[in-house]
Amino acid sequence: MYDFYSEILSPVIAAIGKYPERNAFMINEKEYTYQQFGECISKIRSALNDRNAKEQVAGLVINDDLETYASIFALWLEGKSYVPLHPNWPMERICDILAQVETGIILDSSENTRYDKDNILSTCSLNYHADHLEISRKFSDDELAYILFTSGSTGKPKGVMISRKNVAAFMNSFWNTGIDIDCEDRCLQCFDLTFDVSVQGYLVPLTKGACCYTIPYGEVKYVYAGSLIEEQKLTFGAMAPSMLRYLKPYFDEIDSTSMRHCILTAEAVPLALMEEWRKYAPNVTLYDFYGPTESTIYCTWYELKKNEPNKTLNGIVSIGKPLANVMAIIVDDSLELVAEGEKGELCVSGNQVTQGYWKNDEQNEKSFFVKNIGGQKRRFYRTGDLCYFDKDGDIMYSGRIDQQAKIQGFRVELGEVEFHARQWLNGKNAVCVAFNNEQGLTEIAMFIESDKFDTVELMEYMHSKMPSYMIPTRTIFLKPFPLNANDKIDRKKLKEAVNG
Amino acid sequence: MKREEIVERLTLIFRKVFNEKDLVLRDDLTANDVETWDSLTHMLMITEVENEFQIKFKLKDLNKMKQVGDLISIVESKLQ
Repeated sequence: MYDFYSEILSPVIAAIGKYPERNAFMINEKEYTYQQFGECISKIRSALNDRNAKEQVAGLVINDDLETYASIFALWLEGKSYVPLHPNWPMERICDILAQVETGIILDSSENTRYDKDNILSTCSLNYHADHLEISRKFSDDELAYILFTSGSTGKPKGVMISRKNVAAFMNSFWNTGIDIDCEDRCLQCFDLTFDVSVQGYLVPLTKGACCYTIPYGEVKYVYAGSLIEEQKLTFGAMAPSMLRYLKPYFDEIDSTSMRHCILTAEAVPLALMEEWRKYAPNVTLYDFYGPTESTIYCTWYELKKNEPNKTLNGIVSIGKPLANVMAIIVDDSLELVAEGEKGELCVSGNQVTQGYWKNDEQNEKSFFVKNIGGQKRRFYRTGDLCYFDKDGDIMYSGRIDQQAKIQGFRVELGEVEFHARQWLNGKNAVCVAFNNEQGLTEIAMFIESDKFDTVELMEYMHSKMPSYMIPTRTIFLKPFPLNANDKIDRKKLKEAVNG
Repeated sequence: MKREEIVERLTLIFRKVFNEKDLVLRDDLTANDVETWDSLTHMLMITEVENEFQIKFKLKDLNKMKQVGDLISIVESKLQ
């Protein structure tokens, strides 16, 4: 059996005790040892106790520094959870999130905070007095570990609640794949802490006494990551395929021979790109890991074979088989199982699946259902992904059922982008489509049903509502919109018009 | 090519790629100062600059571009 204690707290605290001189982090070219990490956790935890905060959920301003990572463990040791607050997100979105979770405490390591001083626990100005790393076993694994807000099609971000049990089940699943990491490994953590792959990004190294390499804000991610791989001889990392796509023109300039394991995730994985990179990273084992935030980081995985054919559908690598603590089924519109080889919606069940969206009954009603499988009632999450099982039980990924797009690995509900555009357009229609540009990267194009006008103000408005990756990179005026046979706006035609 | 002309041409590219029609290039401008400057737009900008000046950057060049002044200098040196 596994729990949050055995999978996360105990190994991390043990690493701090066992490897005080080894590096836990390299952040912005500065190294931090496990001892410094332990001291940082201790001082933040003591300050939390002094404050005697009653809230289970705390806001966490996710700067790229030791205090931010230490805050996560200080909160977890106190049975609390975090909701990440991005320093570059519009304040309006952050306020909406804080109002939803109703928390009055925010851990912030910034020297100049943009929050009300009364609510802030300033983690950059604390002094270390004594270790405070004892693990209390009094907290239930049903308590939350983090809440992540993802794009919602109604224009309001929705909070996915991830419990301690969910995270423990994930880590247990992860090690069951056989990926071996030890204290000698150097691991890339290139994901924003608003994105759940970051949790794998820091937990995998920290539970093994290995070193975690982050990417500072203001640096261009792919350039920085490419340099880290070569200069720091990184051995393990998870990245979005788009990162490799950006790096492709420079593959022959990056010495990637140190790489042992590399996980591709957060987007569909094109086989050709992987095979191209492998020429320059001969020692790497590549994996395609798939999973929505709702089922805690990853729920299926596929190991790419080196000298034999890999399974693909339209050039996209199979997402493989469920992880150890996940059950996967594929169903039709009436939630009945489909036959092998037949496409349907992928649904997942097990201890990694969230208890639901924060205070959002309507969405919870839509996204989860209970089904009897083999005489056992199980609760499933509907991923919205169109897939089928092949004859070996590997899952082939075919696309989205709804209007969700992945932009640089981030989930974007095109409906949310359209919602904000329409608010400003005041009656005029706007439709967004995701398209692949000449470099094969996904961008958002916005069609506005109007004569041409200057979009500066519209763009400013949208920037005040959404993170920049959600803002369309192309605007096209078209009047009227093309309709399909059912008199609905023909998104297919619009998509064709982007490149036309 | 004169530095002024490089800056002029780069300004047009930056305004287009980062969708800011009044953007003024300064030597100390960084990705932190421009909201839409991320991996995707950076790559688009780099491609446009390469096409505009008929040059190719190495990853090491990209790595040295901590601010716009560095970009201008690198373009300048490639054109010599």
